[in-house]
Amino acid sequence: MRKARKLVSSIAFACLLSSTASTVALAAECTETIKVLAQPRDGLTLLEDYKAEFEKLSGGASFEIDYLNENDRRAKTKADASTIGKYNVYYIDEANVALFASAGWVAPLLDYYPADYDYADFDPGRQKVATYDGKVWFAPITGGGDLMVYRKDLLEAAGIAPPKTLDEYIAAVKKLNQPDLGIYGTALRGQRGSGANVWRWMPFFKGFGGNWFDGKTPVFDGEQAIKATETYLELFKYSAPGSQTGGWDEAVGAFTSGQVAMLIESTPLVGMAIDPKSSKVAGKVGYLPPPAPLTGGGYGHGLAIGAKANKDEASKACAGLFVAWATSKENESRRLEANQFSELNRTSIMTSKKFAELYGPDLGQALADTGKVTAVNFWQNPQWPDLGDRWGIILEELITGTRTDIKDGLDELDGFAKELVARSQ
Amino acid sequence: MKQKTSLPAVFLTPAMMILAVLAFVPTVYAIYISLQNRELSRPVGDFVGLANYIDLFSDRRFINAIGVSLTWEAVTVGMTLIVAVGLGILLFECAAPRMRNMLALLFLMPVILPRVSAAFVWKFAFHPLYGIATYPYKAITGQPLDLLSNPATALATVALVDVWQWGLFFAVIVLKLLETLPPQPFEAARLDHARTWEIYTHIAIPMLKAPLISLAFVKMIESLRAFDLIYVMTRGGPGITTETLDMYAFSQGFIESGRISYASSMAVLMMIATSIAFTFIWKRVQ
Repeated sequence: MRKARKLVSSIAFACLLSSTASTVALAAECTETIKVLAQPRDGLTLLEDYKAEFEKLSGGASFEIDYLNENDRRAKTKADASTIGKYNVYYIDEANVALFASAGWVAPLLDYYPADYDYADFDPGRQKVATYDGKVWFAPITGGGDLMVYRKDLLEAAGIAPPKTLDEYIAAVKKLNQPDLGIYGTALRGQRGSGANVWRWMPFFKGFGGNWFDGKTPVFDGEQAIKATETYLELFKYSAPGSQTGGWDEAVGAFTSGQVAMLIESTPLVGMAIDPKSSKVAGKVGYLPPPAPLTGGGYGHGLAIGAKANKDEASKACAGLFVAWATSKENESRRLEANQFSELNRTSIMTSKKFAELYGPDLGQALADTGKVTAVNFWQNPQWPDLGDRWGIILEELITGTRTDIKDGLDELDGFAKELVARSQ
Repeated sequence: MKQKTSLPAVFLTPAMMILAVLAFVPTVYAIYISLQNRELSRPVGDFVGLANYIDLFSDRRFINAIGVSLTWEAVTVGMTLIVAVGLGILLFECAAPRMRNMLALLFLMPVILPRVSAAFVWKFAFHPLYGIATYPYKAITGQPLDLLSNPATALATVALVDVWQWGLFFAVIVLKLLETLPPQPFEAARLDHARTWEIYTHIAIPMLKAPLISLAFVKMIESLRAFDLIYVMTRGGPGITTETLDMYAFSQGFIESGRISYASSMAVLMMIATSIAFTFIWKRVQ
């Protein structure tokens, strides 16, 4: 049965590839190696097993991927794109797409993305964060929103129903926090960064009705930001050790190693938490949308065409072909087969029978429900990384106690934001 | 009478030219862009005179970074030399030659390890939940020990890793230096009933003054380049308590803002400060 399924899927791949290849072959004859700067992703590692397929499709071009962790990838892509432009394809994300697009470091994707690869099939939320100034700049390789992930066994033992509101969530976190037994109520992100502690803080800020800017005037320095910060700091009292200066890895590691009762994190956590290979708590995990009024942090990472390394239209077309192939339905099907939950971005894949078979109907429902509360929480502006990172430092100071006055911290950020706006004019 | 020859010039010129290109061109360029307002996303900038330099002195992160850098320099250089001299003497006094060689080999291991690898290894070792270095504390008290998240202990913890790498390496050098010293002064002191600590304080260390000063200089220069170790272990946190000048400059140039002119002004100031400090110390020592 399994062999037959494999055979059928292989034939399907072959048919799809031959149909797209014939169209694309007319568009591009690529021979140069495509250099990609990315951050480690299982989906990209899997892609490397199919280099020969891309060589055949492109007319002889291969690809090389250099990996750097998230923060270093952000720094290196920025440095490379603004100076020598060595890479044909950059891995960019929702936080810096505005910067890359406005600086002209990447080319508009759809101008070079073969239509056969069906960009419209990507999850609408991910398409939204890949769009800036009316144009699409990257093809998603990962993305989503937030889910509240909890230990069903611990909640049942404590007689707590899965929280639906933030007040219930805070009360549950306090009750479930038992450091003497090695169980902590939650795990947050304390590490500085627009994509680290600020990312987890923003759902509180936006959920309480906060806004970053009104036109070019900063308006974040108000009650909502203070309340969001107070709540975040309150929850940090019950957060696992190591998370005070930790990011995604520390929070997820603490949960999957069985030391955390519940947390709100980006959707890929679920894939890791229910996989026995990466989780000690697989089989004990439940998931729901974030408690009201929190918004989910809509995000998307993906591949974009470098403007400097691809000097002519033909090179851009080759890079576009690579991006399209790397994020194609065929490659996503392979990622689904390999149980790479966090690497799935296409509606056709996430609503497929195979997806339901692998992950059950609950996860599909939870993803659909959380989609309704997923929002763009950050300031969609080229200067967002600058502002977000500055708030990340102040927030880390508040979390670790080197600063205690929230209002003073927000005032400092307000001054910085005004300077930032003035500098950009 | 010595004959004049052009041979030194022939050999020196190519090397000096390469040095000039590698050292002076970037330096001059850094000074040039530090007087502008260039950013990565806006490569064409205007001249703003000394504005970047003036702004630095009202920037609390820059002021903090100066303090962190000075503390880092003093702690790592001082502790490395204390560990090196202490361990070197201990090995010389207590270990048989064969054991010394074996231990010397072991002591060389940490410095051979790439800095980034060492930083990752120790970062995991200090993890409050699964770290091997913090496990004994957790086992005894039942409480986790989070050294890298604590503003009071983070810098010292990273410095410990630096001293682990360089202190052990320098201990081997000190041991080898002690082995090269003539035995007569030591024998004479022992005949005069000098205690062991007196022999080392009054005879051995003064005899090793020149090489120890050289080691101190090497470590001072090396400590200025601790970016990778601190970046991996704390990223400058908690807050900005371990953010050194080079880390802040990098952060402004490439991580947060892309303000390369502002970052260059920091680099230029660092260059001037270190040149003055090293020249002053070198002259004092001589």
